[in-house]
Amino acid sequence: MKTQITSLLATVAFAGLMGGCATTAPTELVEARTAYTASNNGLAAKLTPTELHDAWIVLSKANKEFDEHGDTTACRDYAYIANNKLQLADVKARTELDRQKIAEAVKAGVTVRDNQVKTTRAALSSTREQLKEERRDSNAKTAEIEKTAEQLEAEKQARLSAEAKLAGAMKDLATIAAIKEEARGLVITLSGSILFASNKFALLNTAMTKLDQVAEALKAQDSDRRMVVEGHTDSQGSDRINQPLSLNRANAVRDYLVAHGVDNDKITAVGMGSSRPLLDNKNAENRANNRRVEIIIQPSHLSVR
Amino acid sequence: MMKELMMSLAVLGLAGCTAVQIPADRLQQSEASIRGAEEVGASGVPAARLHLQLAKDQTDTAKKMAAAGEQRALLVLARAESDAELAIGLAREVSVHADAVRATEDLKAVRDRGTN
Repeated sequence: MKTQITSLLATVAFAGLMGGCATTAPTELVEARTAYTASNNGLAAKLTPTELHDAWIVLSKANKEFDEHGDTTACRDYAYIANNKLQLADVKARTELDRQKIAEAVKAGVTVRDNQVKTTRAALSSTREQLKEERRDSNAKTAEIEKTAEQLEAEKQARLSAEAKLAGAMKDLATIAAIKEEARGLVITLSGSILFASNKFALLNTAMTKLDQVAEALKAQDSDRRMVVEGHTDSQGSDRINQPLSLNRANAVRDYLVAHGVDNDKITAVGMGSSRPLLDNKNAENRANNRRVEIIIQPSHLSVR
Repeated sequence: MMKELMMSLAVLGLAGCTAVQIPADRLQQSEASIRGAEEVGASGVPAARLHLQLAKDQTDTAKKMAAAGEQRALLVLARAESDAELAIGLAREVSVHADAVRATEDLKAVRDRGTN
């Protein structure tokens, strides 16, 4: 390219010397020369040297024509063509530059997308791991819930069973004792005559069978309910005798029940003497009813210590 | 191509006759360049449209000059061809430049998407 420039400059100089003031170079030729210098110092020299060379050849013809014949039509035609070719060299150079930009953008786009894909894959992998972890937690929670449900079901079945057992025990108990629901609780009343001999507090043998049934019924109650065994006498005899007798009888019943499985801490015994008769003591039948042992199963709200 | 054109002119100059015969392939070449310019959308690009029109006009002029025996006909045809080729280049430049702008915008969009 340097050779071309040198040659061109030499031609121009030669033209200047030879032509001198004879002829002024036509506008087309002046423009072509200027355009060539600009293109040769611009993008075209680097990106479209072949096109630039073609333009130089035609420009050389224009210069030669001018040198030999002056400002002729042919000189102007060659200069015109050279101008077009120089413009084309520049245009193609700019186009090539744009093509390079496109190629670079596409390449960079592929790199960016590759990186994004890698990032997305990493995020996806992380999310999958997180989901697995959450699923494991969820499975553990589900198992825990199922276990709790099973426990609740077992407790429900146990409660139903206990209720059934209680109902059965209370039904059996109803055949040997009076059962009444009062404000102070469930009152089981056993006649004194079936439990003790007159003026005695030792349990009769026949009483034990009945108390076994009572013990079963008491054990079937809710564990948090407290029980009180109350001994009652009729009004015959003095309180000095009746009071301890009633307490001893209550204790005898209590001890028997504890010996047969009733919780020692839940049951107490008190002697009421003749203080709370069911009926007046005017006749033997009423007095017999007044001689009794009551077992009170207190409601839960009264059972709290 | 230009060499052939110059040789044709030289021959004609020597002959000095009144009839100028434009070689068929030279004319075909010029007309093919004009069609090529139209196909790449030169009519839609102002600068290219101007050179396309110059190419057509000069081709017609060259034909008339040849018919009239003017020796300059081949040079005018060469002018026409250079205008047609420039029209093609200019039209392609616009198209490729638009692609380059779009590619740059696409790349920016891809990069922006990655940071959002």
